[in-house]
Amino acid sequence: MPRLTLEKELAALRESVVRMGTLVESQIEAALDALRTRDPDAAENVRRDDQHLNELFREIREQVFMVISTQQPVARDLRDLMAVQYIASELERIGDYAVRIARMTGTLCGLPDRPLRAEFGLMGELAIKQVHDILEALIHRSEHHARDIAAHDNEMDRLYHRTFEDLVAEMGNGTDSEGALRAVTLLLVAHNLERIADRVTNVAEDIVFLETGQVVELG
Amino acid sequence: MSNLAAYRRPMQSFKPDLRAVPGASPSTLRVQGLSFYYGKTRALKDVSFDIADRRITAIIGPSGCGKSTLLRVFNRMYDFVPGARAEGKVLFEAEDIVTTNRLLELRQKVGMVFQRPSPFPMSIQDNVAFAPRLLGWRRAQVKEAVARSLQAAALWDEVKDRLNAPATSLSGGQLQRLSIARCLAVNPEVILMDEPCSALDPIATLKIEDLMVELASDYTIVIVTHNMQQAARVSDYTAFMLMNQAERFGELIEFAPTGELFNQPRDRRTEDYITGRFG
Repeated sequence: MPRLTLEKELAALRESVVRMGTLVESQIEAALDALRTRDPDAAENVRRDDQHLNELFREIREQVFMVISTQQPVARDLRDLMAVQYIASELERIGDYAVRIARMTGTLCGLPDRPLRAEFGLMGELAIKQVHDILEALIHRSEHHARDIAAHDNEMDRLYHRTFEDLVAEMGNGTDSEGALRAVTLLLVAHNLERIADRVTNVAEDIVFLETGQVVELG
Repeated sequence: MSNLAAYRRPMQSFKPDLRAVPGASPSTLRVQGLSFYYGKTRALKDVSFDIADRRITAIIGPSGCGKSTLLRVFNRMYDFVPGARAEGKVLFEAEDIVTTNRLLELRQKVGMVFQRPSPFPMSIQDNVAFAPRLLGWRRAQVKEAVARSLQAAALWDEVKDRLNAPATSLSGGQLQRLSIARCLAVNPEVILMDEPCSALDPIATLKIEDLMVELASDYTIVIVTHNMQQAARVSDYTAFMLMNQAERFGELIEFAPTGELFNQPRDRRTEDYITGRFG
């Protein structure tokens, strides 16, 4: 005997959170495109579109609260709602990282053009793939897939540390103030990409919680 | 606690101790392979679980699953039903409830509160004093038992100035607390409650629930309830029972600490029931 209202509300919330995830994925892609092409207008679009994400996040939070207060869910239903809440929160933060990358792109556009390190392309691709894969894991409610994705966080950490060391070395080689600003800004871009992967790991933990009820630490 | 320092704890005790955990309490009642029959009809089959000392254990399940029957075994109420008999064991203080002949002592130690309060047609005081007098207690003992029981049942402040008033003048919630006081008067070890709040409004229900939680520091409480949220709110352990559809007997499906049963039930049937998808 299904609980029709609850089922309908849960399905709508699951759909909303995946929709939010696809928006976040697009935001990261757009932020990285703007960075690669040194396009300040495209970077500004990312900042503007973040409002949609924030609005969606607010709606999801309100709906989760409404369902909990009206349906008194327990067990898997409650985990479903808690996971929606947790995951929406992580996605909202990932959206914020995309906005920060867009802001830094604005700064970089005011500095002399120099080629980006290959690591930025690799980290960007990895961040997008991680977000995409975790959304797939969420849709299929695959604990196994989620754990697998979290295990790939090391790759991002390795790239970030290499970039960090190279940029610090660059700053140590007597660069001018513009060069130093560029290096620090790129360092922050790399840091935000690395944080995206960390948040993906948190989503993986939320999926494990959703499926098993176990609170785990991955990555 | 207004001082922040009072909140600091060593890391190993960081986990809040909200509800009972397995193995945390010794057992008061040990149900072992219990089956029950009304004549030739088997109502329960092979029920086994331990009821923790000074904790609240809830028994939940749909109508007809045998949860009230199980409760009535614990103080041999079924003796009043022609043809009813139990098999298996229910150990209580090293004695088997199923076979004991000391029924007066058993019912003194294992009291029962029913779904609908049934006051005797006498004063509030005499209702509580009824069982102590029956047991031949001295006048002073009876007087002490009345005051102590009404206080423990959180009714004293409301009735202390009208102890000789008829019990029937009390409200539904007060009557149910009077039933609890009547049960407490003879110093039981275990209090059985069969749907104690089903006839009460939400405020009276919350009063009884608070009372149960307070009483659980001194008594072992077993409650049968249809209200799953009530079981989740007040109990430390929960037993889920279900009727076997093929053979039409009640069986225990799952027994676990309440937090565990309502968050991660092990059995799919438990999950279906507590999430309202049973049927």
